Amino acid sequence: MHTWIGEAVVLFFALCGCGLVVSAVARGRNAIRVLVGFSAICSALMMIAAGIALTTGQSFQVGLWHLDGLGFFSIRLDMLSAIFLFTAGLVYPPASLFVRNFIEARFHGRYPLRRYGAIHFALMASIVLILIANDAPLFLISWECMSILCYLLVNYEGRRTGDGRAAYTMLAMSEAGFLAVVVAFAIAGRTASDWSFASLGAAAVHLSSAAVWAVFVLGFLGFGVKAGLVPVNFWLPRCYTATPPIFIPVLAGITLNLGFYGILRLNDALVPAHGVGTGLFALAVGSATALVGILYATTDNDLKTMLAHSSIENAGVIVAAIGASLVFRASGYALAAAIALTAGLYHMVNHSVYKTLLFQGVGEIEAATGTREMDSLGGLARLLPALSVVFLVGCLSIAAIPPFNGFVSEWLTLQSLLRSASLVSPATKILFAICGAALALTAALAVTCFVKVYAMSFLGIRRGDWALRTQAKSNRPQFAMVYLAVACFLLGVLPTYIIPALNRAVELLAGASATASLVPPFFTATPQNHQLAPAFLHDFHKLGAQVGSNILPGRGLVVLVRGGQQNPVIFAMSTFYGFAALAAFVLITWVLVTRATRKRGVARNELWAGGIPRLLPEMSYTATGFSNPVRVIFQAIFRPNIVEDTRQTVAVHFRTAILRRREETHLVDRLFFHPIGDAITWFARLLAGMHHGKLNAYVAYTLAFFVLILLLYRVS
Amino acid sequence: MSFWFWRGLKKGVQTTRYPRTAEVAAGVTPGRPITTDFRSVEAAVLAAGVCPVGAITARGKSAHVDLRLCIHCERCHFDGVRPLGWQADYEWATVPQGKPRYEPLPQAYGRSLHIIVVDAGDCGACLHEVKQLNNPLYNIHRLGMFFTASPRTADVLLVVGPVTENMRVPLLKTYEAMPDPKRVVAVGTCAVSGGIFGQSFVSAGGVSSVLPVDLEIPGDPAPPLAVLHGLLVVTGRKAAIRHEAVLERSA
Amino acid sequence: MAVTPSSLRTSKRMKIDEIARTIRERFGSTLLVSHGDGGVTLSIALVEPPILPTISRFLFWDAVCTFGGIIVEQLQDNWRLSYLFLSPGSGWIEVLLEVPSSTPAVPSISADVHAADWHEREAEDLFGLHFEGHPRLGDFILHDQIWPEGVAPHRKLHRKTMDAHRDRLRHRPNPDWRPLLVVQDPGAFAMPVGPVYEGGLGQSVHFLLETVGEDVVRAVPRLFYNFRAVEKIAEGEPVSHALLLAERFAATSSFAHSLAFCLAVERMCRVEVPARAKNLRILLGELERLRHHAGAIAGICESTALSVAASQVAIIEELLLRASCQFTGHRYLFGLNTPGGLHRDFTSEACTELLGAVDRAVSDLHRLERGLYFTSSFLDRLEDVGIVDPESARDLNFVGPVGRASGQAVDLRRDCPYEGYGAYHFEVPREIEGDGYARLRILFQEAYQSTELIHEAIKRLEPGSVSASCEPPAHGLALGWAEAPIGAALHWLRLDSSGLVKRYRIITASFNNWLGFRVAVEDFAFQDFPIILATFGLSATECDR
Repeated sequence: MHTWIGEAVVLFFALCGCGLVVSAVARGRNAIRVLVGFSAICSALMMIAAGIALTTGQSFQVGLWHLDGLGFFSIRLDMLSAIFLFTAGLVYPPASLFVRNFIEARFHGRYPLRRYGAIHFALMASIVLILIANDAPLFLISWECMSILCYLLVNYEGRRTGDGRAAYTMLAMSEAGFLAVVVAFAIAGRTASDWSFASLGAAAVHLSSAAVWAVFVLGFLGFGVKAGLVPVNFWLPRCYTATPPIFIPVLAGITLNLGFYGILRLNDALVPAHGVGTGLFALAVGSATALVGILYATTDNDLKTMLAHSSIENAGVIVAAIGASLVFRASGYALAAAIALTAGLYHMVNHSVYKTLLFQGVGEIEAATGTREMDSLGGLARLLPALSVVFLVGCLSIAAIPPFNGFVSEWLTLQSLLRSASLVSPATKILFAICGAALALTAALAVTCFVKVYAMSFLGIRRGDWALRTQAKSNRPQFAMVYLAVACFLLGVLPTYIIPALNRAVELLAGASATASLVPPFFTATPQNHQLAPAFLHDFHKLGAQVGSNILPGRGLVVLVRGGQQNPVIFAMSTFYGFAALAAFVLITWVLVTRATRKRGVARNELWAGGIPRLLPEMSYTATGFSNPVRVIFQAIFRPNIVEDTRQTVAVHFRTAILRRREETHLVDRLFFHPIGDAITWFARLLAGMHHGKLNAYVAYTLAFFVLILLLYRVS
Repeated sequence: MSFWFWRGLKKGVQTTRYPRTAEVAAGVTPGRPITTDFRSVEAAVLAAGVCPVGAITARGKSAHVDLRLCIHCERCHFDGVRPLGWQADYEWATVPQGKPRYEPLPQAYGRSLHIIVVDAGDCGACLHEVKQLNNPLYNIHRLGMFFTASPRTADVLLVVGPVTENMRVPLLKTYEAMPDPKRVVAVGTCAVSGGIFGQSFVSAGGVSSVLPVDLEIPGDPAPPLAVLHGLLVVTGRKAAIRHEAVLERSA
Repeated sequence: MAVTPSSLRTSKRMKIDEIARTIRERFGSTLLVSHGDGGVTLSIALVEPPILPTISRFLFWDAVCTFGGIIVEQLQDNWRLSYLFLSPGSGWIEVLLEVPSSTPAVPSISADVHAADWHEREAEDLFGLHFEGHPRLGDFILHDQIWPEGVAPHRKLHRKTMDAHRDRLRHRPNPDWRPLLVVQDPGAFAMPVGPVYEGGLGQSVHFLLETVGEDVVRAVPRLFYNFRAVEKIAEGEPVSHALLLAERFAATSSFAHSLAFCLAVERMCRVEVPARAKNLRILLGELERLRHHAGAIAGICESTALSVAASQVAIIEELLLRASCQFTGHRYLFGLNTPGGLHRDFTSEACTELLGAVDRAVSDLHRLERGLYFTSSFLDRLEDVGIVDPESARDLNFVGPVGRASGQAVDLRRDCPYEGYGAYHFEVPREIEGDGYARLRILFQEAYQSTELIHEAIKRLEPGSVSASCEPPAHGLALGWAEAPIGAALHWLRLDSSGLVKRYRIITASFNNWLGFRVAVEDFAFQDFPIILATFGLSATECDR
């Protein structure tokens, strides 16, 4: 059957090229419009191609050209690629729109866009190429292009402000990761006939266990750099904070996912694990990442840095789910593996959507007030009501509050970890329990974190000295952010349509269908056709699981986690019905309350503060104060190095100022970055000791080297 | 912890039965002077002269008591020669003079009254007496009355003290922060008429100079049962007595 | 000029004659040492002001005297400042300084005697007298957002003129007024508490608890919301009216204050109070102390939310109030003291009945005390919370039960006996931990001690008169003191030529202790703040006058 995927792909690349050229040429205001227009069309094409693939289940493959020694370059849009491509296509339009709105608002439309546009389209093309590459060289080349292009965009404003170190750290780490991935591919493909993924997959069956471990660890950590996993993620907070707001939605929403794609492609599709060890490794690293990420997110007061740490947390959750899936598959529980992988992929999609939304929101806040410090914000809900609504949706989503999307994926992740009860090995079960507890703690801390973010930035009274900049006074909500907010809502309320779509890839990787177990066909099942056990169907019919069967398509609206014989249903939830009930309840309450209080007037009075003359901003809770309990409880992790507490006095009894400063080093910096950096510096110093400029010594070096070569020649 | 549970049970019910029956235990109230007739005009004048704040005035052969000014020094009570009549009661809350019409709170508040107390320069005795209403011997909770911490949820503002200059603004803010319907009750002679501190450069001389007062409960201090009686008047569970009626009755 | 607290340990308490001798030797001609009168044992008249801080430092630290207070008086052409120190066991020492009215400033002693900090601020606010070297004058009694600068109400402008100008003196609250915040940290904020808090069932005080989250870094109370200018109102009134004021400005310690006032007047008149009156005064004073401490204990139980204990102790307090009313006719013991003795006498049946009520109350208290000391959740909130270490207690001159819980065992009944306390035998309890638990233990011990004193007072009662005639003399001048339940109360009185009050000065224990309160609160968690406040049991209205 002829699908139009191929045409879409070709058209996509053609338009990318056009966009690249045109945006490099266009001038002034037109540049933005061209950028956005081409970008939107390209993203639409991405979504179309991926959508066709997912709905029809057909994959698309085409060979490109042949290079001697490296083999045949080909591209293949299979189910796994389709999911990632769809996500990218979902998030690119609002990201591009945001670029335009932000530049109009912040820079009055004056921004050096020529180079930006070129790099933007090149990046888009390289991302798609990564996702559809079917052989290692093409994959690696486009990966490297993507890294460099990302660096250029991260540093785009750094060259003006002079602070390029964060971007440089990112580039350095990306290169280190890239090298690890190259070595991983090299090990994997040692015995393969050529470098295409199919050949690698065939050859991987014969790999020894040690080689598999090597491939796994190198690939995991190499891709983990991009994904943001502990211990290779120390570039992420620095880089995200330094990235200009027009680029960061793409960086956080799309390029992060490439890390997951790499892990899944290499370690799940091509080189599947032999034992549970690798999966447990992934699970442990994921859980640790999640916990560390959310701890630093909760205690950080800069909005962008906080969101960077939160990205780390979400990456950890995704990787933990992937790890669980690997463990289940290696133990032979294909169904549990399918559920876990569904959870991981779902969370990846959700994360892209709400993280982009949140970063855009933060960009708006920075444009409107000029500051990102939560301690100085406050009271924005009254000044920017539209922004506060969409930002609230983003906060609720990331905090996993039903009926938004974060809830579904977080819930599925924890449910899949609970499936570990059926595993055999006690050590595995213990590790699962610990990681499950860590993830539950992470979820709770995430709620704390985002309650703090929303409350400190939007609610309360203004704490800082900033004034609202005129452009932001327009109350019109941004279409991009509304689009993402609606996407968050739909992804949360319609999980029974998303899971079958994700199932396409899950089936291939895990070997079992998640849809059958997670989304029972309440709409299509009847007692006669025995799609579900009649008693089961009857019970759920009484609970209302068939409501809407006449109107909505699909299998049903209930997500179910089934158990065994004794316990047929472990947990069932329906965000759709839940949301409907909630909306009905709120509506009824609102009607009753307005009717009951219609006669009474509402008087407005100033805030009650105990009778003091005026409630000053200094008297309202700060973000530091809010998160202080977390900082105190987890002091062992934060290990604040210096707490300066200088009290300046006029006389011993009178104090005029008490100065406090807290200096902390990030845990990962403390344990990895600084030791590695120190080791490298030590080694470099050692080597530098050899370069002292004395000619005699250099001659001696040459002689020694010559002797060494002769000896080696002799020996061999 | 079970020690406290058993201890509480063992103590039994200690609460007064007021308002169902009058409380006659000794010491619940210091009592008050009442208008007394004397044998001659001179005797009345001499009896009235004992009062250091002029709460007793001689009219003909009787000495009239204006409880709003009484500071409970009890010199008139224990005067050996011409003691004034003394009544050991506590139901002496009155509606201020000059208030056109007294309206108790709607019936809905009868068993659900929330009170906020503001200390506007009180000596500590009236506030202490009001605090005693929370202890098991009086227990206003059984009557559905509660002290709240926020004026937003309060129905009655209870003010003690003559309203010092520094407390003027907080008191006004508290009043404005209360939603309608609300009532203001001045507890203690200082709050009613300024007491011994009177009107000075730091004292407003009573709550009525600052806020519209709905009920006055004099006394220095006003005993807890007098405050309780006042609160029952505010909710309409006891009849209100006008100050003019009290003065007329004594005339 | 930092003061080393190590001098606390090396110096031994000096007797008054030793102090007099040392001062004469060290400071020689710059001052004049003489015997005092009107209650003061030693009077040191300074010739030059600059030596004032040195003398104060010597008296407070080397001679180990406690600080009483500063009495400022505006005479015809001079300012008369009297600094009171107590040498426990020996008597009061007064350092007199007279400076001409045109002097711009008086040297401040707050850097040496930290306890004088608030006394100087009060004098500056009320008299407009400047103290050189004091870094934080202003916005003390007359709150800056309400009062304009330069009002100085205690200056010799007649009170009635001030009353007439009331509306002119007051101006609209200053909308730009900002409190002085000290903690500089990006995440620091100041949590406001009061003046209307706890539903108003707490007295009007305002706190700004500066914090960065959990612990209170700085807490300084803002008082004087209940300032009624009692000292000023009394001027020009007869002594009998001033007595009414002394009773009613801090009613929960009414008897002690009226007693101190009457003692001042009796000292002025050189009148000897009859023995029966002395014993009855002791009886009533201890009754008030017992009732007050029961209330303080109820407050502590209430703050830790131990409801059953709080209710039971509140019952005890109410029964004591009723017993007081039955005995004397007034629940708070108003109208009893008069210069020369008591207004009326009490029958022995009444005394026996009072004794019965007191014994019942105290036996209940014993049982509750045992229960409280075995309730670990209650003790957890008190132990090691709100610690005032002995050095700070000495430095900031804590008095009363709070001081005794931190090692400052000064009790005027023992160290400067008045009214026959010298003949009674009693212990002054002392603890050194200085935490909430120590303060609770002190309250219990003092309550039992008061019971024993009541018993002894009744036993010593002999028939006789209860008052002696006492005519306030013209130009009378005297100091009276008493140990109120919260601590030392000083009443100083000067009469004019017609026997009316010319200057009335009240120094209360709450005023002394509120200054040091912040030491107990700082560096403890927010949640402990109300409990620490309850364990101190301070009265804002007694401090504000």
